[in-house]
Amino acid sequence: MPLVFSTGPADLAVELELKTGSLTGLYGPSGSGKTTLLRILAGLTTPTDGFIRHQDQLWLDTTHQVVLPVQQRPVGMVFQDAALFPNMTVRENVQFATGKRRDGLVDELLELVNLGALANRKPDSLSGGQRQRVALIRALARRPQVLLLDEPFSALDEETREQLLTELIRLHRQFGTTTILVSHQREELSRVADRLIKVENGRIRERETGESLNTALVPVRFTGTIVRIEDQRAIVRLPEGGVMQIQLPLAASWKPGSSVTVVVSEPADQ
Amino acid sequence: MHLWMDLDWQPIWLTLRLALVTTTLLLLIGIPIASWLAYTRFRGKSILEAIISLPLVLPPSVLGFYFLLTFSPAHAVGQWLAMYLDVHLLFTFQGLVVASLFYSLPFMVHPIQAGLENLSPSLREAAYTLGKSRSETLWRVLLPNIKPALLTGIVLSFAHTIGEFGLVLMIGGNLPGQTRVASIAIYDEVELLRYDTAHAYALLLLAISFGILLAVYSINKRWVTF
Repeated sequence: MPLVFSTGPADLAVELELKTGSLTGLYGPSGSGKTTLLRILAGLTTPTDGFIRHQDQLWLDTTHQVVLPVQQRPVGMVFQDAALFPNMTVRENVQFATGKRRDGLVDELLELVNLGALANRKPDSLSGGQRQRVALIRALARRPQVLLLDEPFSALDEETREQLLTELIRLHRQFGTTTILVSHQREELSRVADRLIKVENGRIRERETGESLNTALVPVRFTGTIVRIEDQRAIVRLPEGGVMQIQLPLAASWKPGSSVTVVVSEPADQ
Repeated sequence: MHLWMDLDWQPIWLTLRLALVTTTLLLLIGIPIASWLAYTRFRGKSILEAIISLPLVLPPSVLGFYFLLTFSPAHAVGQWLAMYLDVHLLFTFQGLVVASLFYSLPFMVHPIQAGLENLSPSLREAAYTLGKSRSETLWRVLLPNIKPALLTGIVLSFAHTIGEFGLVLMIGGNLPGQTRVASIAIYDEVELLRYDTAHAYALLLLAISFGILLAVYSINKRWVTF
């Protein structure tokens, strides 16, 4: 279901529709407006003109003076500095989100990010990566429908970033949220996002979707029969039906009728 | 020395009582005001901030003089209070409390406001995204994380109230058990050439003030390591 909004303070003019359950990457130079966009979605900033609809819930409609307060939007947000409450332990931070319960939900949530052992520690004794994991699970504790992440991993080292990105994807799928991830690193986003959006000077510049993204490279083998050879190219018929054209190595001495095995690296979901 | 046994301790208790009541009320009034100033922007905000800060620069006798006029039953406000609420603020303990609230307000508001402003804004915003209201966020997230600032506000207000003189002189009336606080008593005793008694009161105030400061600095040190 679509999310649509436009314009905002400081000259941001955007129109966007996102698919439920998708993971969208927002990137762009500093000051381009990507964080502002996220904050408007969360309800932390209200634009002068705007419209946001999430499924059949109206979050923002400036022409009719409708502004749903941030507390009532089903969003979870992860901030760049994790924003864990220093006066509370890890467990208490998550419990703050879920409310006091006896059913072990908080422990369950902590286990999801492998932080059960750190439940009674205070945030300032955790590493940056651990803090962001707590922030992530705290944001998801109330099962929001939309998950917003504002450059959550930019202050971390490469290895930790990789780990956390993988965790994010896992949790995103597990909780089924519509996720928007802001980063200034396009390459990082292209690994995980279903869709990439570039924000520049308050405008959307490019949208990229689909096959080049979300890849896990998997080699695939075909075995087929060469039907015909033209120049350096061979037409290969595959046993399942269908033909494939392949470039032959110069030194090859293939003849029509010979069997050939082809190994191809291909995106996993094709 | 017989001095300590014969000493009339009433001014000391009165001073402490005044400081305690004033500080407690200031905490209840000051927190909402500080929070409002820290997080809201509105036209005329600087005017309000200037008004609140006036007691920092105004001679206490000026404040005292205007309270005298305002609370006097001969004038509008004092008259109204006497007629409708049977409240008399001149020459009473209650009057001292009310005057002290105005007089020490900036000493409570400023540290708390500064403390809140120095917190990372993402803390407050994170709490909002977790569905918490403004007041729940203030009491469960923000205030617990500015304990040193709260302590500063409490101590400064308390100390400032103990030190009141000019204000009390104007609207107090020097009534024993009611408005004859220690600072007035010292002045009084000196005027009567009873230096021993004056010295006793002065020393007591000094010891109390020093003791409070010492306690505060020690607690603060322990708190810095959360």
